[in-house]
Amino acid sequence: MKTEITHNGNQVIAAFAGRLDTAAAVQTAEDVKPLMELDHKEIILDCTALEYISSSGLRIFLSIRKEAAAHGSKVIVRNINSDIRQVFVMTGFISLFEIQ
Amino acid sequence: MDLHCEMIMEEYRAAVPELERLKEAVLRTLRDALDRNGLIVTAVEGRVKTEESLAGKLELKGSKYATLSDITDLVGARIITFYTDDVDRIASMAEQLFEIDWNNSVDKRKLHQLDSFGYNSLHYICRLPGFDFPFELQLRTTLQHAWAAINHDTGYKSGIEIPREYMRRMNRLAGILEMADDEFSRIRSEITDYRRRVQALVQNGKLDDVLLDGDTFRSYIQAKPLDALNKRIAAINQAEIQEAPMIRYLRVLVALQCKTLGDVDRLIHKYEADAYLLARHQLGNTDIDIISSAIGLQNICIVCVLTSGGGKIGLERLFDALNGHNSQNAELAEMTYKLASGLPFMQKQQ
Repeated sequence: MKTEITHNGNQVIAAFAGRLDTAAAVQTAEDVKPLMELDHKEIILDCTALEYISSSGLRIFLSIRKEAAAHGSKVIVRNINSDIRQVFVMTGFISLFEIQ
Repeated sequence: MDLHCEMIMEEYRAAVPELERLKEAVLRTLRDALDRNGLIVTAVEGRVKTEESLAGKLELKGSKYATLSDITDLVGARIITFYTDDVDRIASMAEQLFEIDWNNSVDKRKLHQLDSFGYNSLHYICRLPGFDFPFELQLRTTLQHAWAAINHDTGYKSGIEIPREYMRRMNRLAGILEMADDEFSRIRSEITDYRRRVQALVQNGKLDDVLLDGDTFRSYIQAKPLDALNKRIAAINQAEIQEAPMIRYLRVLVALQCKTLGDVDRLIHKYEADAYLLARHQLGNTDIDIISSAIGLQNICIVCVLTSGGGKIGLERLFDALNGHNSQNAELAEMTYKLASGLPFMQKQQ
């Protein structure tokens, strides 16, 4: 599981690659910490190369969303595959995130 | 400038740091009190009178002041409100916070004759314990502020008296803005009354009397009509429930022909059992232990679309409404349709 954060003007893109399962969640939570302090940014969670997400991964996405809201930032989940999109539907997470 | 005024100016230069401290203390006190009282305003601002402005004042009426502390507006604070009612509420708040010099305070809103209009503001001359100087607190609405600022810009500031015709037109505008301020306050009061009536109807279960709109839907959701269903769904995998905003379901419910909260309530009761079955079918074979509080209503809408014969296209439109139009929504609708097709409510429909 890899997480890469890049800055592009007002946008900050966190690109995830691999399987965001329980085992990978601890490291990923550490990797996304820089996103938690961003004021008034558009945070893109780029899931183009994300193959799988577990409950632990959903919790990481949620904590990013909560911190972003507290700092006046906005989170967009981008390019999730159909399996992950189904997870977002069956959990009702499509009501929590803007998904593109 | 005569010697007396020069002495006051000297006194002023020495006092500037204290005046700055007074300004900061006043603004902090006001902002804290507004927060405590839940009062939202357009602006809270303050200033220390500039040397240039003070010199101008002394040139005009320097003999009126024996010492610097006789000048009551060396520090000025201003609160600009949305509504006229809030001017009075904040005035009452200021009376608790500061010592008011009633002899020098003036409510300019009450100075007008029955047939005259113009500058409207409440000016309090106040003292804050621990400081040697008084300060002026101005309270006015956003519209009163706009009028005062433009009037200042066009006339007073230039020092040249403007022709009567323009003054009359400015004052005429003040009358219109006074009417607008009153109307804004009335609208706010009526909306508050409407929300109270709706909440009472929701609490009394008279849901058929309440038309479905953003306000009424929020009141209904606050009564947690989906709590039991969400908890049943959460129990499938001992999941935690994350609160989610529900407002995006409003347009879905309207599209599903709900006109009143009674319609929404009936829709929930009609489909909640099948919505639970759908959730169990989806989540039962997974180890997902986190869901959003929107899951119950989302599944109710899915079941409603499917049992009404909306099919895959209906589901695609539902996902479009919930999550914006997206090319993957068709695929998602296809998957959801396939998944639901083995459930009893789909077979009954066939």
